Amino acid sequence: VHLRKPNSLTLTWALLLTAMIAYLPANLYPVMTVVSLGHGQSDTILSGVIYLLLNGDWPLALIVFVASVLVPLLKIVVLIYLLLSVQRKSRLRTAQRTRLYRLVELVGRWSMVDIFVVALLAALVQAGALATIEPGIGALAFTAVVILSMFAAMSFDPRLIWDNEEHQT
Amino acid sequence: MNQARPAMASGSELLACHECDTLQRMPALQPGQTARCRLCSAILLRYPKGGLDRPIALYSTALLLLLLSNSFPFLLLEIQGRQEITTILGASRALYDAGMGELAVAVFVTTILAPALLITSSLYVLLAVRLHLALPGARHALSWISHLEPWGMLDVFMLGVLVAFVKLGAMATMHTGLSLYAFCGLIVVSAAATAAFEPRLLWRQFARRTGLIHAR
Repeated sequence: VHLRKPNSLTLTWALLLTAMIAYLPANLYPVMTVVSLGHGQSDTILSGVIYLLLNGDWPLALIVFVASVLVPLLKIVVLIYLLLSVQRKSRLRTAQRTRLYRLVELVGRWSMVDIFVVALLAALVQAGALATIEPGIGALAFTAVVILSMFAAMSFDPRLIWDNEEHQT
Repeated sequence: MNQARPAMASGSELLACHECDTLQRMPALQPGQTARCRLCSAILLRYPKGGLDRPIALYSTALLLLLLSNSFPFLLLEIQGRQEITTILGASRALYDAGMGELAVAVFVTTILAPALLITSSLYVLLAVRLHLALPGARHALSWISHLEPWGMLDVFMLGVLVAFVKLGAMATMHTGLSLYAFCGLIVVSAAATAAFEPRLLWRQFARRTGLIHAR
């Protein structure tokens, strides 16, 4: 027996709104700063993708773009849509909305990739070498976005999508 | 109570879908088959081939690979004659040293703690059922396995390794460590283990043992 998730709507909204607030600093502040020979260069999430596009190969840049820019944004938008549609007692495309929810739940964890990159770079390029890499505030905010939106997706109960179906028929 | 029943869906049992609450009759499953909700096509129950022995073997292998991948250098970097080595733990350690404790915890949990807990608790529950032992806390372990699953991010970490490779490749020479190979194996094996392991099947065994399934 799977019990209903209590206060699903309220909890999901709360987590989602917090994630949205954290989304701004996550993209505006640098996720890391490369300091070499007294000269510092900061990278945000987006400029990291652009760097990959210019200096690496574009398939990898595309994957990282999808994982760290597109997925968090789409996830927030989709969850808002699902919440609103449940609250407006929509009966449209219930099966598709369930599939959308499943997709959101599945794909969210891939956004952590940028944080792992920062951690690996910081571990490899350590103090004493020619350059040091310092993780920035943006990385903290970005992790908050990923984790909060994962919790938001988990606290959403997909059965709410189907509830209105029953009342009508 | 009929104890001689095979440990699978019996065909006469009613089940409410966990995603849309539709009440439906469970079909009798053969090994390798999957039951899906007829309304929203959520997976109701899988019945993987290989019984309990296959996931036990795979999770044991995964445990071994997890230990290996955490005990040797993961990546090596050569920069103007200097060599830097890092391990998987080193990644979260570097964040901690940089004053980002919260971030270090997040990386530690997703790359080491959650996978380790997932593997050991799955193995624990599987062995408890397989050997007919009443091990303490087996139920609790089983109930948190599904909550733990999304937080193990080994595959995501691997993508991060790839990106780090490209980013640092421009200014230094990168070498792969022994752990990286164990880590690649770990990803494959733990994916296979997850596919071979159906927690819902074990719940049924626990329920059958206490007579809950027939109590209606």
